[in-house]
Amino acid sequence: MTYRSSAGSVPAVRGVSFDLAAGEVLGLAGESGCGKSTLAAALLRLLPPGTLVTGEVLLDGEDVLTMRPGRLRAVRWNDMSIVFQGALHSLNPVHSIGRQIREAIEIHRPKLASTELRARLGELLEVVGIPARRASDFPHQLSGGQRQRVLIALALACDPRLLIADEPTTALDVMVQAQVLDLLARLQSELGLAMIFVSHDLSTLSYACERIAVMYAGRVVEEGPSAEVFGKPAHPYTGALAAAFPIIGDPTFRMRPSGLPGDPPDPRDLPSGCPFHPRCPVAVAECVTADVELWPAGENRRAACIHVLERVGVPS
Amino acid sequence: MGEQRLVELRDLRVEFHARRGEVARAVDGVDLTVRRGEVLALVGESGCGKTTLARTLLGLERPAGGEVLFEGEPIRYDLGYLRSYRGKVQMVFQDPMGALNPRQTVYEVVAEGLRIQKLRGDEATRVSEALRRAGLRPPERFLQLYPYELSGGQRQRVVIAGAMVLQPSLLVADEPVSSLDASVRGEILGLMLELVREEGVTILVVTHDLGLAWNIADRIAVMYLGRIVEEGPAEELLSNPKHPYTRALLSVVPEVEEMEQQILQGEAPDPTRIRAGCRFHPRCPLVASGEAARLGIEERCRSEDLDLHDVGAQHRAACHALPTAAV
Repeated sequence: MTYRSSAGSVPAVRGVSFDLAAGEVLGLAGESGCGKSTLAAALLRLLPPGTLVTGEVLLDGEDVLTMRPGRLRAVRWNDMSIVFQGALHSLNPVHSIGRQIREAIEIHRPKLASTELRARLGELLEVVGIPARRASDFPHQLSGGQRQRVLIALALACDPRLLIADEPTTALDVMVQAQVLDLLARLQSELGLAMIFVSHDLSTLSYACERIAVMYAGRVVEEGPSAEVFGKPAHPYTGALAAAFPIIGDPTFRMRPSGLPGDPPDPRDLPSGCPFHPRCPVAVAECVTADVELWPAGENRRAACIHVLERVGVPS
Repeated sequence: MGEQRLVELRDLRVEFHARRGEVARAVDGVDLTVRRGEVLALVGESGCGKTTLARTLLGLERPAGGEVLFEGEPIRYDLGYLRSYRGKVQMVFQDPMGALNPRQTVYEVVAEGLRIQKLRGDEATRVSEALRRAGLRPPERFLQLYPYELSGGQRQRVVIAGAMVLQPSLLVADEPVSSLDASVRGEILGLMLELVREEGVTILVVTHDLGLAWNIADRIAVMYLGRIVEEGPAEELLSNPKHPYTRALLSVVPEVEEMEQQILQGEAPDPTRIRAGCRFHPRCPLVASGEAARLGIEERCRSEDLDLHDVGAQHRAACHALPTAAV
């Protein structure tokens, strides 16, 4: 996926493949500029016009990227919906939250009787933990956590099978964050929702997801079961992300904050070889030129680091 | 002991007048000491009053009651005093992009404090030195850049250089890394520790992030609805939290696995309606679970306000369920 701008083309996502089974929860980790939000938006074909997208997004074998507009509209909301990052301000301030949710239901189910509509609205609010009587409230009357719940209710309005949540808890307080994570986990198990959870916080992802894919500079650099990716990172970048949020009580981190030198690279000017090599604590001369790809790094795990090859052996 | 106390807050109260004559008691009787050379973390949810407390310490809000003592003297609010006070107490804000003037070069940003304090002399040398100490090396590479040309981490380093150029005794940092990328976060926290160790600066860091406190704080004070409800050495407080609010906060941090999650319902309560009794009782798991009733203290939880008392070595908490420790 390449953004076109006046300053030239910006490759934001450079060759990413993954599968998601029905009911599965995948975490997409990475920092600003790594392409994770671009990727999330591309799944629903929500990127700005002019963005160059190649490859396929297959939903039950059907390519979202080539769907006709009518079909696409049906797929959005009904099959996949998204809760955007920083969307707390995306609610319309002059309409009640009930009206906004009703609208979303009506667009997709125009024949619904008004009593059914009201019942569905109440049910949706209830599901996300907001009393149905608050349907007449306006966004400003709700706290940040409640607005995030309304946005989740909106995304659920048409019973999607896949929910994409882009940094759904980042702007929220610790306790409210825990409430929203708890809600998402409950929805996942009760409704059998598949979810893609995008965040820069690897510890939150490892708590909320079964599998994690870590992105750096537009590529997946590591993927695998979340406990293992977080607990025993195979890629040094994953290791740095995992150490950024210390384990409280672990003396390794006490008075020893851990970070990486430098900053995430500019997608217009990526380093040669392994794009992580300038910041990598274990880089060797080869990394400057090496063509890295996702190599097997244990059971159900892959990592794009040449050190993985030494450890596991070159795949045939 | 007197030497140790850089800042003391005594029974500090800060009020805001809301519409309909309501009064929000944002800071409602806080006693707190910041010791020279330490990193003190002030922890709590949004709306608990921690940012108001920090602003009051900086002289940006005037207390409705109580006082702020700096080096043993109550701070004053005349312009002359405040100007010299700001030379000694500096602030680092949450969002470096918002804190930097987009039309100023790095040099101008860092030199501004010197100009306000009328410390012109060897301005260029001081600016370069501050940048170097903030990890922007070599400084010449950064002097003429504008904020948009810098990365998030570099911007926060510029903000820190702008604060450190005046060689303050105290740095007040409000969520200094919450808007930064995960991999950059540790570098900025490392820089803060370096400033404490090498420059002897004292830091009050305001945060909701207990992991940050484990990374850099010597002591922690936990704030709830305008009051400190627990304070103590960081290691002791985080490994042996006493107050049910601190325990709940710690239990929801994903990095803490041994604790059973206690997700408090609702959000930080309304400072215009502080309930009688212990201010935490409406959300307290001990009250909700019936544990307080079993202990025979529920009535006191609901009716009797309380102060911090000793619960361990240098460890204090305000909870009726906690016996006063003999220290």
